[in-house]
Amino acid sequence: MVQFSLIPHGVCTFLAPAGKKTTEDKLNRKDDVRLTDYFGAKSVLPHCGDMVRDDVVRTLVGKIVAGGGVPVGADELVSEVLSREALGTTVVRDGLAVPHARVDGLKEPCVAIATSVRGIDWPGEHQGKVHIVFLMLIPREDPALYLKVLRALGTALSDQEDFNLVAGMTSAGEIYRFFKNGRAYLPRYLTAADFMTSDYQALRDTDSLQVCISALIAGRTSELAVVDAAGNLKGVARADNILRACIPEHILWMDDLSSILDFEPFVQVLDDEHSTPVTTILDEKYPVVSPDSPAVQVACEMMKHKSSKCYVRDGDHFVGVVKLTEFLNKVFRE
Amino acid sequence: MKYFNPKFLLQVLIVCAATFGGMQCGLATNLTQALNIAVFASVITTTLLFWERRVGVAFIGVALLVACKAMSLRQMLFGTELDIILFLVGMMIIVGVLKDLGFLTWVIQAIISRNKMTGVSFTAILCVLSAVLASVVDEVSSIVVVLALVFQVCETLKLRPHPFVLIAVMATNIGSSATMLGNPVGIFIGNKAGFTFSQFLVGATPVAFVALVCTFVITLFWFRNDIRAMSEAMAAHRKTGLGPTAKIPYKAGLFVLIATVVAIAFHHQVEGLLGLEGAENHNAFLIMTPLVVAGVLMILRPSRARHYVEHDVEWWTLLFFMLLFSISASLSTNGITANLATTLTQHVKGGPTGMIPLVIVISSLGSAFVDNIVFVASFTPVVQELMKMSSDYSVLWWALLFGACYGGNITVVGSTANIVASGLLEKHGQHPIKFSDWIKIGAMVGAVTAVVAWIMLLVMPTPKPLDAGHAPAAEVQQAATESAPANQ
Repeated sequence: MVQFSLIPHGVCTFLAPAGKKTTEDKLNRKDDVRLTDYFGAKSVLPHCGDMVRDDVVRTLVGKIVAGGGVPVGADELVSEVLSREALGTTVVRDGLAVPHARVDGLKEPCVAIATSVRGIDWPGEHQGKVHIVFLMLIPREDPALYLKVLRALGTALSDQEDFNLVAGMTSAGEIYRFFKNGRAYLPRYLTAADFMTSDYQALRDTDSLQVCISALIAGRTSELAVVDAAGNLKGVARADNILRACIPEHILWMDDLSSILDFEPFVQVLDDEHSTPVTTILDEKYPVVSPDSPAVQVACEMMKHKSSKCYVRDGDHFVGVVKLTEFLNKVFRE
Repeated sequence: MKYFNPKFLLQVLIVCAATFGGMQCGLATNLTQALNIAVFASVITTTLLFWERRVGVAFIGVALLVACKAMSLRQMLFGTELDIILFLVGMMIIVGVLKDLGFLTWVIQAIISRNKMTGVSFTAILCVLSAVLASVVDEVSSIVVVLALVFQVCETLKLRPHPFVLIAVMATNIGSSATMLGNPVGIFIGNKAGFTFSQFLVGATPVAFVALVCTFVITLFWFRNDIRAMSEAMAAHRKTGLGPTAKIPYKAGLFVLIATVVAIAFHHQVEGLLGLEGAENHNAFLIMTPLVVAGVLMILRPSRARHYVEHDVEWWTLLFFMLLFSISASLSTNGITANLATTLTQHVKGGPTGMIPLVIVISSLGSAFVDNIVFVASFTPVVQELMKMSSDYSVLWWALLFGACYGGNITVVGSTANIVASGLLEKHGQHPIKFSDWIKIGAMVGAVTAVVAWIMLLVMPTPKPLDAGHAPAAEVQQAATESAPANQ
């Protein structure tokens, strides 16, 4: 889940008029790209009060297709969007849904917006109704564009008052002007913050090995961050380090352990796990980036450390984790 | 001034002092020699003050000497002592295979499965194991193995490992002087002086043995409280043991080790059989044995061969050695060491015997603060010059060996084994040994063992090299003459 509150503002502070250049041209030339470059007032559907999810999607897709420039038929697009919904909810925060689909042959992203003060019932694992629907059709060839649009949207609606204001607006023109005049610019590049999750469990450096082992098992994970009282990242507790603690180092020197049959390496650790601090198995070499590091740096760090997680640190402060599976999902599938 | 580094200022001051001091003392009589001293002092001070930058500085130093015609390219290549480097590469690969085969694991398992150990017997085992392993493999591999044992025992008994780490390190440094295999210093001196393996054994092992006994006694007294605590903890752990035990296959590893040591021990006889005679073939089989053994092992274990070469060979260290040897060889070819040898013979009375304490003290103190190979590499050409005057000066090879190895005990940076031990302590979540704690016991052991070495060199007949003036040095000298660098 993308944490909007963590997205740094001001990445795109440059201002330049948007002409008829392609998004890629503009991003490469450091011109700013606004969300409103991808939709007009005609693509906005205010007050869709009694509609259900599928109707909202169908109506919004219809508005996009009516605008022209989409090489695929409306029914197929609706089917694509709903198929994506079936994989998992696109509600990215309370009250905001971002249904989307990747479309072959599409040159520019296409966006349509629906709002509802009463809220729309939106199937999926989330709480409450949806008040703003932001439907996106994204060129399949540009995996980063979806996340950039998402970041721009998150920036524009980061303030809850602004969110409520948009949800309550009565005309399409008002909604369009909000995004036109606001700070809804696409970032030049994706950062670690675009991929990270901050609702991530961490251990305290005062915890015991017993707590660590239980947390790893309960969380079905192979590693957990360890922080101090101030929330600073001290290292990573890894399951394989527990194995190392169980099996003495000198045994691991051997290439082939198949000759060792009667060996009970875990007894000693089992006896002492409650009194052994987690810091004894702490790994201080792990992939780490700052929230504003480019996404490619995140990938590079995970590759260098052969890890499935990259830790995000703001200064020394632990702020979140990028999981490899989430990273791949966002780049290749979202 | 934000980026001002006082250590850099100190380095500049030392290098300037060494250069001008060398000029004042008559060691450097022209600009080339002064530059040579400055480059050498820069490399030494970098190992002391900026450890991680030593290879970079050595690179630039070599380039500077070549660029300023203080050393020709041919001299540089001769000076790298590739024979010694290859010997070390072969030994490192063999140690990697010994680890793989389980031999070193078996050594540790054999000790922790002993049921009736006490603190004193563990300390004795620690001393003997450290010294013996260091003498047959090398000091770094030895300290890694022995500290694995120390951590296993201390973590099981919930004891502070620091005293036993210190004991192991001191015994390792002493044991590493016992044979040519124990320390890069040993093979360097043995090869430069022209000693055979058995000559080295006769000259070095008795001194190392007595020094080890003295160290054992000193540490027994110094760490008596910790050793007593270990005895009590061991008594309480009789039933549970000192760690998980397992049957480890060791015969293949033991065979490899014995075969290697025996082949090296008889290298002189094999050289005679093969007709490898003359200065250009001196110690040829000694150098080749580890390469042959490592080659056979890599052929037999092809899936691990790349691992041995890439992970078990300390390329970083060996690269530094090559550059350092090259720079120190330039001191000889430019006549600086000849000037130093003349100055020493003029000022030190008593001939070779009178110089023994001087060499021991200088090399001990030097090795206490700078990696001992650096000091030995710099002093070797001086002894070679003195050997030209009289073969009686060969006793100084031994003084240099013992001073460099025993002096390494004085501080935490005195030898590679000490630095590795400190790193392992931290890796095991322990605070590092304080400089003041180390130097108290280190200086005592260093002083006592240096005195032991001095006395034994006075009373014990020491072997003399079969041929004074080892071939590579002579070739370097010849190369120097041929290329005629502008050093005048």
